[in-house]
Amino acid sequence: MATALTPGAGSPSSSRVNRKVLIAGMVIAFPLLAVLVANLGRDPHTVRSPLVGQPAPPFSLLPVGGGSPVTLESLRGKPAVINFWATWCVPCFEEHAALTAAAKGLRDVRFLGIVYEDEEARTREFLGQRGSAYPSLMDADGRVAIAYGVFGVPETFFIDGKGRIVEKYVGPLQRSTIAALVERARGEDR
Amino acid sequence: MKSFAFALTALFALASAAASAPAPASMEPGMGAPRGPPLSGAVLDARTEDVGGLLRCPVCQGLSVADSPATMARNMKAEVREKLAAGYDQEQILAYFERSYGEFVRLEPSLHGVNWVVWFGPIAGLLAGGAAIAWALKRTARKAGAADLPDAGPAAPAPGVPARDTLPADARLAAAVRRVRTLAYGWPDGIPPKAAL
Repeated sequence: MATALTPGAGSPSSSRVNRKVLIAGMVIAFPLLAVLVANLGRDPHTVRSPLVGQPAPPFSLLPVGGGSPVTLESLRGKPAVINFWATWCVPCFEEHAALTAAAKGLRDVRFLGIVYEDEEARTREFLGQRGSAYPSLMDADGRVAIAYGVFGVPETFFIDGKGRIVEKYVGPLQRSTIAALVERARGEDR
Repeated sequence: MKSFAFALTALFALASAAASAPAPASMEPGMGAPRGPPLSGAVLDARTEDVGGLLRCPVCQGLSVADSPATMARNMKAEVREKLAAGYDQEQILAYFERSYGEFVRLEPSLHGVNWVVWFGPIAGLLAGGAAIAWALKRTARKAGAADLPDAGPAAPAPGVPARDTLPADARLAAAVRRVRTLAYGWPDGIPPKAAL
């Protein structure tokens, strides 16, 4: 080993072998390092939703506080915003005010909440305290969340008038983001 | 012969009736008609575990739906069970979840495109490594064999280095060298007495 490390000490053939080993090592190590560097800091759960550009999965769910079931079909013809949320999710009540204000301001857009892994009583209490401008639906067995490929809450889907998903937004929404994404959902209609 | 023709006609009629039959009531939107037999009992339990084991729990860290206690995993498992009971086969069910979660949801990536590397890369790497080691070992053995040849003789001294049995021209210096050799090796000459014989 010592001779291999001292240049000139080894015979010419031994230093050539070491260069070969070095190159082979680099050929193996570099792609692995490149993959590591490229994916470092990337959350494996933030997969681009395959549903974007696809028809939104249909549903028929009961609203919190009673009433007749709300279906995806009933949203047709106007852009829609479907927000998956829960009362136990802190970012959800951060964005609740923004969504309520947007729903009040954008009269031609249908807003809908779908409650993710939560109890109806607690949801009703939350909405009673903080107010709401749009219906929230109970997804008791989580089927709709699964059909929409929900990883967690909050996640929001922007749907055009033809029922196609235009964008999926992960994380709490700001009013400006809602406005921009609604504009895109409107744009896809034209 | 006549009965055979009748049987054939009946079979054909049955097949065409099956082909034109309306979709069963249990058909899920976007899943097509179930391709397998509806399952129940112990078989259904076992298959639910099998298929659940192939699905990644989206809210967990590297856990399958079958192994995770998360609510979402339990919901997904219930859905797998329902679909198996309705007669959907494994591939139909995996494809259903893939439509909403992407290929991420499959714990075993399907065999297409760059995924071939994932499946066969390690085996190819192992084979290539084994071949490289075998080649290196063979080369070393060949070199060692060449060095062991009897007619190769002792290695010739490098140029510029005096032979081991040379003595300085000066008599006193030569005597000192012989004394040092005796002390160091046990014999005064540069070559051991046995080798000199």
